[in-house]
Amino acid sequence: MTFQGRLAIGAWLSFVAACIFVVARTQFSTDLAAFLPRAPTAAQQILVDELRDGVVSRLILIGIEGAPQDRLAGVSRELAARLEHDARFAYLANGAQDRLRADGEFLLRNRYLLSDAVAPERFSVAGLRAALGRQLDLLGSPLSVLVGPLLPRDPTGEFLHLLEQLREQGGPEKRGSVWFSRDGSRALLVAQTRAPGFDLDAQEQAQAAIRAAFEQAAREQRADAARLLLSGPGVFAVSSRAGIKRDALHFSLIATILVSVVLLIAYRSVRVLGLTLVPVASGVLAGIAAVSLGFGSVHGITLGFGATLIGEAVDYAIYLFTNASAASPPQATIKRIWPTLRLGVLTSVLGCAALLFSGFPGLAQLGLFTIAGLVTAAAVTRWVLPELVPHGYSVKSVDTLAPVLLRLIAHGRALRVPLVATVLVLAVWLALQGATPWNDELSGLSPVSSSDQSMDETLRKDLGAPDVRQLVVVMGDSEQAALETAERVGVVLAGLQSSGVLAGYDSPARYLPSVAAQHARQRAIPDAGKLRRNLAEAVAGLPFRAGTFAPFIEETQTAKRQPALMREDLHGTALALKLEALVAQRRAQWFAMLPLRGVADASALEQEIARLGPQGVVLLDLKRESDALYQGYLARVLKFALLGAAAIALLLAAALRSLRRAWEVLAPLAAAVIVTVAILIAGGDRLNIFHVVALLLVIGVGSNYTLFFEHRNMANASPERTVTSLLFCNLSTVIGFGVIGFASTPVLSAIGSTVAIGAFLSLVFAAILTARVPR
Amino acid sequence: MISGPVPGRRAERLLAALAIALALCAGRSAAAQESGLQQNGAGWGVQQLMRELGAVKRSQARFVERKYLKILNAPLELRGTLTYVAPGNLEKRTLSPKPETLTVEGDRLTMESAARNERRTLRLQDYPVLWAFVESIRSTLGGDIAALERFYRVELEGGRARWRLYLVPRDPDMRAVISLINIGGSRDRVERIEVQEARGDRSVMNIYEQGR
Repeated sequence: MTFQGRLAIGAWLSFVAACIFVVARTQFSTDLAAFLPRAPTAAQQILVDELRDGVVSRLILIGIEGAPQDRLAGVSRELAARLEHDARFAYLANGAQDRLRADGEFLLRNRYLLSDAVAPERFSVAGLRAALGRQLDLLGSPLSVLVGPLLPRDPTGEFLHLLEQLREQGGPEKRGSVWFSRDGSRALLVAQTRAPGFDLDAQEQAQAAIRAAFEQAAREQRADAARLLLSGPGVFAVSSRAGIKRDALHFSLIATILVSVVLLIAYRSVRVLGLTLVPVASGVLAGIAAVSLGFGSVHGITLGFGATLIGEAVDYAIYLFTNASAASPPQATIKRIWPTLRLGVLTSVLGCAALLFSGFPGLAQLGLFTIAGLVTAAAVTRWVLPELVPHGYSVKSVDTLAPVLLRLIAHGRALRVPLVATVLVLAVWLALQGATPWNDELSGLSPVSSSDQSMDETLRKDLGAPDVRQLVVVMGDSEQAALETAERVGVVLAGLQSSGVLAGYDSPARYLPSVAAQHARQRAIPDAGKLRRNLAEAVAGLPFRAGTFAPFIEETQTAKRQPALMREDLHGTALALKLEALVAQRRAQWFAMLPLRGVADASALEQEIARLGPQGVVLLDLKRESDALYQGYLARVLKFALLGAAAIALLLAAALRSLRRAWEVLAPLAAAVIVTVAILIAGGDRLNIFHVVALLLVIGVGSNYTLFFEHRNMANASPERTVTSLLFCNLSTVIGFGVIGFASTPVLSAIGSTVAIGAFLSLVFAAILTARVPR
Repeated sequence: MISGPVPGRRAERLLAALAIALALCAGRSAAAQESGLQQNGAGWGVQQLMRELGAVKRSQARFVERKYLKILNAPLELRGTLTYVAPGNLEKRTLSPKPETLTVEGDRLTMESAARNERRTLRLQDYPVLWAFVESIRSTLGGDIAALERFYRVELEGGRARWRLYLVPRDPDMRAVISLINIGGSRDRVERIEVQEARGDRSVMNIYEQGR
């Protein structure tokens, strides 16, 4: 071994050691939000933040079905009792009324500060008289048993007004005093975890706790047939993580084994097979280490992408081994093929560079991973591998395969015209498709299966959870400022509600009015003497017994003096959770959210909200906003993809010093991309960002084939060895990516199937369009 | 829950709100009062009474209901008609002071008020206290002892010619509102229903049967 060879091996070994050192310290994440785009506007940032760790992300919807109704109700009660004091949950509800008692007491005690109906007119003679008339009507009805006891304390009905407002937010139906779906087949519960939605370990534990409690509850209630349904962002995230872990592990393993088998058949040497994997393994290590250093942690999906790296990086060693022979020792071979190989690596790197700038942290990771991995694999192939190959090694199957392949290529020339015609037709067809084949919804990237999504939808509908599609977001420098603005917006919304523009709305100010509003309500309550006089006048002629309303006088006066309610005062009630869900502090800004229900006239709504002035009030259509967010990124990725393609073309033209040669290399790739897209669309796929990324990889991988097929290469080297090496390379690439095409994670399967199809077509098209077999 | 026109929906929410209010009050209630009910002698008993009541398939009556409420200085007086059709259909039509109709059909309770232009329908299962209250009358008329026993401890006093049923709610939430329902009658007729509320209010309904 030469001194240079020893140096190369030494450098490689220390590089691998350094990579292992970094990888051993690497944090692995599966936070799917990494694959959500970084948000450009404040409103979109709220959206992404809410998805990541908002209260919404902590909700777990629970359904119990498959047993008789009374058993289900029993399981629901038992489950709630078991989880009630579990520290993992901030809140757990099944509709049982004893759980609402704390809320009721809070509302009753603070009704004069909380009720937005409290105003000076409410306590005038006319206001009181109207209220008492309403109460008298109720006393005559069968409801008197319910109304009567509270009447002396609350003749103006503030408590009932508050309860009505809360009730207005909708709630599930009840059977046997717990929540049930409308058809009565499913008992319903809602849990909220303490841990944020992105803390997947904690989410997993919480879900395990629910499952365990359910098992026990079902056994205790003798409802063995009962089934538990769990849904919600955290549930999806945990199951996606499990899916990603499984995919990453299984598919990498399967790809490795399949590629190894193919190579073993080709090489008939375990040692050479082992050597082929050396650049791949080095590349994967370097890729993980680079991402770990660059991003602080490595995403599970990036790791799953290791499998795709196998498909491409393994090519480099194959070119080397298949082209080496007794006449051409490895060192000489690598020197000969290196310029072409280097150009191929550079093309791939340019393709992946587009990922780096995509704006998706997750995709940027994939880009860095691939670039570092490919560069390392190529370098190891160039400087380390030749030192390790046994002298005089030659791939035997060249002699049997090459003649067949060369004959095929010779015949392939006849297909040139039909192929070009087909590609042109498909290109026109694609152009006519316009934007339809594009999936322009953010949900298209969701890792959640459509059956899980529809179960989630069913549970949400059953629970009467408001369909938070449109909401008004209010910003302020402080919590109080945000609440005050929310109250101003609330007045406008109430007006719109009564004119039928919307069916209803919720506001954090219902649960915690601003201090200013609370003080105004306190001022609206007359002093004891005046209130007593007004009341006496209002009662005149009505059959109420004298002194009945003494508790009313007393409690209003207490309310008039009580300190204003603060966030802490709501602690322990369900109202605190509502408040927490609707008010958030992020980056020194306070946000209040007012979800809207049943918007019938969106333009009238927009006009009214716009009239409130530009500062700090935003009408947010979550669906529209998230889709706009996604479309912005799709456009951005497309732009970078086109730039990447242009950069590749320039690179090739410069390196080959001929536009004609560059065209010969690029034409089969363009054809492959067009036909691949047509196949995907014809197969019913809707294209998303991941497909664009995959097409870039097709160009990166395919350019290797076309470069080797390009006539000067074919002329310089042994054509037999070149075509055989290309067959093996293509086979391993198609296997590596094709296996990933079967992954359940959408990112992986989109990239896998696209690259597998594209790489195969690139080779075939290059053979037809570019290859010239010297005679 | 099935709702009527818009005003009905509002009223229905009010009802739901009241159900919560009720739960709230339950927390503060006194324990149920113990009544010293007598078991009557052998021969004729609850089973026989129930069988006889259950044999009536249809009845029509006038009623006068007086509500003695502590906060009012005069009782409220309601008049109207009652119609029962076996099994389980009951209509209480109040004519004065304000027209209002209450219908129970199976699991559904409908309240209609012409004066307030309201109509609301709700499921009894969703409102346990109202359900129990309805069953005290409906199950007695239908002779359904199992349904009665489900909600109340039932005791009988007197003989076939003049009997009295004492119903004490089993559910503490219900007991916090209604402490005792006392139904009096003669043979297969229900003549008087008295409801004792836990807070001391009371209502008495006298029933005058008009036909079957």
